[in-house]
Amino acid sequence: MNEKQPKLTAKDQWFVLKRLLRYTIPHKGSITVALILLTMTITGTILGPLIIQRFIDDYITPMNFPKSDIIWIAAIYIGLQVFIVIVSYFQLIRFQDIALKIIQQMRIDVFSKVQGLGMTYFDQTPAGSIVSRVTNDTESIKEMFVSVIVTFLQAVFVLVGVYIALFSLDVKLTLISLVLLPLFVGVISIYRYYSADFYQDIRERLSQLNAKIAESLSGMGIIQVFRQEARLEDEFDDINEMHYRAGMRNIKFDGLLLSPAIDLLYMGAVVFTLGYFGFASFNSPVEVGVLFAFTTLLSRLFQPIQQVMQRLSIFQQALVSASRVFTLMDDPKMEPTQEEKDIQVQDGKIEFRDVTFSYDGKTDVLKNISFTANAGETVALVGHTGSGKSSIINLLMRFYEYERGNILIDGVSLKAYPKAELREKMGLVLQDPFMFYGDITSNIRLHNDGLTEEEVREAAEFVSANEFIEKLPHQYTQRVTERGATFSSGQRQLIAFARTIVTNPKILVLDEATANIDTETEVAIQASLEKMRKGRTTIAIAHRLSTIQDAELILVLHKGEIVERGTHQELLMQKGLYHMMYELQNSSAENAG
Amino acid sequence: MKVLLQLRWFFKQQKKQYIIGVGALVLVSILQLFPPKIIGLIVDAITEGTLTSSELIKWLVILALAGIFMYIARYYWRVMIFGSSVLLSRTMRERLFNHFTRMSPSFYQKRRVGDLMAHATNDINAVQQTAGMGVLTLVDSLATGGFVILTMALTINWKLTLITLIPLPFMIFLTSYYGRLLRERFRFAQEAFSDLNDKTQESITGIEVIKTFGQQKEDIEDFTNLSSDVVDKNMRVARVDALFDPTITGIFAVSYILSFFFGTKFIIAGEMSIGDMIAFSTYLGLLVWPMLAIGFLFNIVERGNASYTRISELLAIEPNIKDMPGAISERPKGDLLVDIESFTFPGDETAALKDVHFTVKKGETLGIVGRTGAGKTAILKLLLRQFEGYKGKIVYGEHLINHYKQQSLRAAIGYVPQDHFLFSTTIAENIAFTDPNISKEKVYEAAKLSQIHEDILGLTKGYDTVVGERGVSLSGGQQQRVSIARALIMKPELLILDDSLSAVDARTEEAILKALKEARTDETTIITSHRLSAIQHAHQIIVMDEGTIAEAGTHEELLRMDGKYKEMYDLQQLEVLVERGGGSE
Repeated sequence: MNEKQPKLTAKDQWFVLKRLLRYTIPHKGSITVALILLTMTITGTILGPLIIQRFIDDYITPMNFPKSDIIWIAAIYIGLQVFIVIVSYFQLIRFQDIALKIIQQMRIDVFSKVQGLGMTYFDQTPAGSIVSRVTNDTESIKEMFVSVIVTFLQAVFVLVGVYIALFSLDVKLTLISLVLLPLFVGVISIYRYYSADFYQDIRERLSQLNAKIAESLSGMGIIQVFRQEARLEDEFDDINEMHYRAGMRNIKFDGLLLSPAIDLLYMGAVVFTLGYFGFASFNSPVEVGVLFAFTTLLSRLFQPIQQVMQRLSIFQQALVSASRVFTLMDDPKMEPTQEEKDIQVQDGKIEFRDVTFSYDGKTDVLKNISFTANAGETVALVGHTGSGKSSIINLLMRFYEYERGNILIDGVSLKAYPKAELREKMGLVLQDPFMFYGDITSNIRLHNDGLTEEEVREAAEFVSANEFIEKLPHQYTQRVTERGATFSSGQRQLIAFARTIVTNPKILVLDEATANIDTETEVAIQASLEKMRKGRTTIAIAHRLSTIQDAELILVLHKGEIVERGTHQELLMQKGLYHMMYELQNSSAENAG
Repeated sequence: MKVLLQLRWFFKQQKKQYIIGVGALVLVSILQLFPPKIIGLIVDAITEGTLTSSELIKWLVILALAGIFMYIARYYWRVMIFGSSVLLSRTMRERLFNHFTRMSPSFYQKRRVGDLMAHATNDINAVQQTAGMGVLTLVDSLATGGFVILTMALTINWKLTLITLIPLPFMIFLTSYYGRLLRERFRFAQEAFSDLNDKTQESITGIEVIKTFGQQKEDIEDFTNLSSDVVDKNMRVARVDALFDPTITGIFAVSYILSFFFGTKFIIAGEMSIGDMIAFSTYLGLLVWPMLAIGFLFNIVERGNASYTRISELLAIEPNIKDMPGAISERPKGDLLVDIESFTFPGDETAALKDVHFTVKKGETLGIVGRTGAGKTAILKLLLRQFEGYKGKIVYGEHLINHYKQQSLRAAIGYVPQDHFLFSTTIAENIAFTDPNISKEKVYEAAKLSQIHEDILGLTKGYDTVVGERGVSLSGGQQQRVSIARALIMKPELLILDDSLSAVDARTEEAILKALKEARTDETTIITSHRLSAIQHAHQIIVMDEGTIAEAGTHEELLRMDGKYKEMYDLQQLEVLVERGGGSE
């Protein structure tokens, strides 16, 4: 994916983050449990050094070891470690579980939104980028929930816990070591400030690099024919060089400010602590156990800070991804809505009344289209590419909203019917039928689990698809892969027929296949078409005029207008466009034969 | 570890960097030993009451210096070792890219761009990891691990060291076992994710069907199930992943308990001091990373091995079309004689061309027509020397085409392919592809010849419009014309238009052909086309059918033959009429 990254302002980031966090609300209970587990783990890890401290100061230093006390201390320490091991395991899993569920919900939300979008959206947006929103972007948000938020929480909890523990040991030193807090904030903000740019830079360089490789690989033929290998190699070297430099800069930057810097800070803290206790010991005795606890606890403080810094880039990326996901979720280009009145399609009479339509609001692709298909009749649409045939079907199927004119079914506006009613009563067969991954049965049945095997077979038989299906090694359970590439386009067409007929629609909308179909299948297709049309109102786009000679009405479209209309015989008599097309097809049929 | 040997060449090349880097790493692992020791010494001095302020200050200064040196050394090993690994990935990527530019079309026919991309990204990444993280974990586990253990044993108590080390091998064993388990489960998680990805892709491409059958709800359910599978598989990963921290904590806790238990015993026995014990437990903490590193090392090197092997195999492939020794470096010129008995594409069973013989005189135009798969493009591919291994000969000017250097042969040919591939750069740069420094006027001239100049000026950014950018889309016909301009700008001796006027309307086609005729009086042109209008003015036309020449002659001659050509002509005349929307024009 080589997409431009939107630049987010601090305010945008804040809004995106707030909206993301809203997804945690349904998991309140689970989160509370996880937080309690986290608190327990951290308390445990902080208590460990404190127990050792008491052991050193109360028993080792005075060299006094009463047996029962020692056993108690050992038992508590061991018990505590076992407790930490178990609790931290469940805490880690619990957070993962929550994060994964949140992302699942988010994915389902985006996917549902996509399903509800209108065809306009799909026309304007490449499929790849929609898929990317649903899967890749949510994946990078997952990273944020899984690693960033948990790390961040951990850091805060550890910070609070360690400071409480330190307070209990030595108030004065703790107050002094509060200086570390602004230092942490300082280092993190400096790091965040620069790393955001650096990280963005290296990401962009990488995507340039990959885009260059991908493009050069696809265009290698051209590059070689025009002898530009050397130049492309140079161009690639430049991008490669820039990427390398960005990488080096990141390494240097991280080297200066990330773990080495945090380690240096820690050393500073250790020097300071030792100095404090050392100088204090000159005036009054100090407990060395406290010193031990202090240095150990301080080291616990620095680890999470470093982890937070390392994960800032994931956080940044997640916000960018989230903003893209939210943009999709807020997209207003929804599919046309229905008034959902309580009515049913009775006879299936279709009427177009003066329909004018434009996809982009500028050029009209349909102009004043009016015609009627009475119940059970066939209306055929004829015309070359771009004449408006497909647009008529697109409107009838409610893929696009129309504003001018109206389409009526049984005298009632198409917009009034419930969506489910329309989907049930209208069947569409597309020109290049889309095959889903699965088997033949699942492709006929689709998600309609209520259909029995028997019904699926009957439908296949009805459209004569059974002939080729039964010759397949696995018959109805034959696998369909890669969009049905293993089947001929004629066979795919027959499966699509069966798919439509199995739902027994009242209205049939057909977009006949243009692709080359072998003669055997062609005969089967023609026969089934005829059978399917019987008793159903049919709107058919015909590429082979021979197939629609018995249509009650033939409309010849040109540039969005109906230029000729009538039956086959009437149109032939007019000696117009239809006549010419008919002639043309006949002569080509002769050639093919 | 094989990959580390195979990368010898690189380590040699970066000898200085690796010596400094490893040196700095070793320095860090030595300096790390100071703080625990000094803490221990100070604690002892405090408990014994022997601490003096000058001594304290001395230790603190040493500690501070150690801290600063560590900072510097840590910075440098990163720059040296990680920096070198980035350089390695750059070098490998460059080699691979240059190798790609030398591969013949048959290489690309056999492989998918996506797979080649994977080598250039994932595999190179794994090799980079080996040269960076791999070296780091190797040195760190040996140096830090070794030094810390030695210090504990030699300066504190060797018995205690042995006792506390007992649990650690379990950690190495467990973490590397988790690593393997994790990788396997991670693969399942990836597969689940890619299933979800495929499902999404399918739903979006098949959205019309789903909408038609009103199955949005069911499809969302299906998606939900798949996404639950993703959650399950990821949870399986998480259950292993979450084992790491508790395991490390647990095993180190055992070591700590052992160290305190026996440490106290040794203190009572007078074998060591409290300060020693505190130092000892701090040293123990330093062992966490080297132990983890050993586990990481195995995994990194294993992946690096596999990737390096794949890249090496790819680099070892020789281009199957090469210049012969002493090839002619002058640009071919003159008549073109094609004399092919037969040619079969590698991997195919049936011959793509049989008995194809024709001559094109310098300055003439040859038209090739025929349906898809009739062999038109196969002839061109042989002319371009994209494929070899045919029976017969092709002579251009004085010599066989394979006697020329490939570069010289191609210098004479301007090729416009069927699939008008344009690069995602400006239109001007696309046209000036063969010579980026060519003058603007020449670019305009080529664009005018191919009738695209006006179209380009009509775009908001004109010649600076970037092809394929969001919102700017050139129509197929416009792309074809840009790609014609790209070939024309080099003023080729031989211009080949491979069905490259298919998306251009009839009037523009006529204008282009006329312009070509006027501009190219002395040069040769070959045009293949479905549409006869594109070739009907050619000096010679051949009709290809099933890999062989069915008919040949001029337009008029062919019409008179009343054969295939005549049939195609009649049919297309009608199509033209329909295109115009009726007989009125």
